[in-house]
Amino acid sequence: MKFSVLAFEFPPINVLLRWQDVLPTINKVVIVSILASLIGMGLFLAAARKDPKKAPKGARNLAEILIEFIEKQIVMQTLGPTGLGWTPFLLTIFIFVYLCNVPGIIPLIQMPATARMGVPAFLALMVWVVYNATGIKHQGPIGYFKSTLFPPGVPKALYVLVTPIEFISSIVVRPFSLAVRLFANMLAGHLLLVIFALLSEALFQARDKILIPVGILPFAMLLFLTVFEVLVGFLQAYIFTILTAVYINMASHAEH
Amino acid sequence: MLLSLLLAAEDMGPNPIAPENKELLWGAGSFLVFLFVMRVFLVPKVKKGMDARYGDIRSGHESAQATRVAAQNDVHAYEEAVAKVRAEAAARIDAARQTLDAERQAKVDEVNSRIAARRADADRELAAARAAARGEVATAVGNVTARATQLVLGKSPDASLVKRAVDATMNGGRS
Repeated sequence: MKFSVLAFEFPPINVLLRWQDVLPTINKVVIVSILASLIGMGLFLAAARKDPKKAPKGARNLAEILIEFIEKQIVMQTLGPTGLGWTPFLLTIFIFVYLCNVPGIIPLIQMPATARMGVPAFLALMVWVVYNATGIKHQGPIGYFKSTLFPPGVPKALYVLVTPIEFISSIVVRPFSLAVRLFANMLAGHLLLVIFALLSEALFQARDKILIPVGILPFAMLLFLTVFEVLVGFLQAYIFTILTAVYINMASHAEH
Repeated sequence: MLLSLLLAAEDMGPNPIAPENKELLWGAGSFLVFLFVMRVFLVPKVKKGMDARYGDIRSGHESAQATRVAAQNDVHAYEEAVAKVRAEAAARIDAARQTLDAERQAKVDEVNSRIAARRADADRELAAARAAARGEVATAVGNVTARATQLVLGKSPDASLVKRAVDATMNGGRS
């Protein structure tokens, strides 16, 4: 069933987001997430095989730039020097999320794996488990939940109000917002691209010839949004990674 | 219109926002394999290479820094040595110049004294020659005067008188 708005036919949202299985349980989204993993491993495998003594070029250069980016822009900014051990974890998250985002603008693929809830939900759940486990490891189960649910410096009478808020905020909303932020941004970008692509096509193929030049406007917007999605894809990967680092840091230190 | 879209969406199958198990599980599997390989093998290897290269660069930089400091010390030492040699050369030149000036002055003084002695000798000889010539002239004038007086007066004049008159005349009236 297609929706018709002023003769512009828009396909049902499930047609845009749900993909047929090409193999049992494997659809386009699954392929994108597997490719993201394989490309990431391939990049670092190629980088690891090159002579480290020589000046880095190509894959090695890109891999080192990524490691330094994560170390300097995320780990050092949030966790400090003691958090450098988290670099592989955060680097993997960043690369995986970015490589799941980018296919949204690659011709023929044109579907970010993160525009479906599965991948963001898993990543957010994993981050939730990791930062809670880190908090319990560093502060002990009682200490961690005490510092999380009963923040120091708050008058005891206010704990009646603050503790449920902190519980919902830290334990429930945090992973939910982490997943939904990534998913909603990529879904919105994907739908915008679809809308402007279909609008351009409809106007270019209009029976009324006067509408054909008007098709340039949505097409220009489509080109702009395609470039914009490159930035959005990077930004969302960065935000997801840095929030993960922030949550781990908050769980590691009782004073937060 | 929006309401009709939302209502119609319910008829199109499962909620498009809800996660699908296969996507979640395959995504989880892909990520966990990726994380394992990165955490255990790839990132440590790349990082180890980076650290080794940075270590080499750092040690090379430190070595270059040490060489530069040593070169700067050598340059300072060379400049100090050059300044010392220049000062010594200037002192020697001054000493030599003073010695030369003293020797030159001594030579000039010696030559001047020799010239003065010769000039005094010459003056003395000149005075003696002048005095001798004057005596001869006075004798000749006295003889001529005595002879002329004898011819005029017919008798010889007193020789001493003639001599006094000649001397008085030759001295310009200063007798």
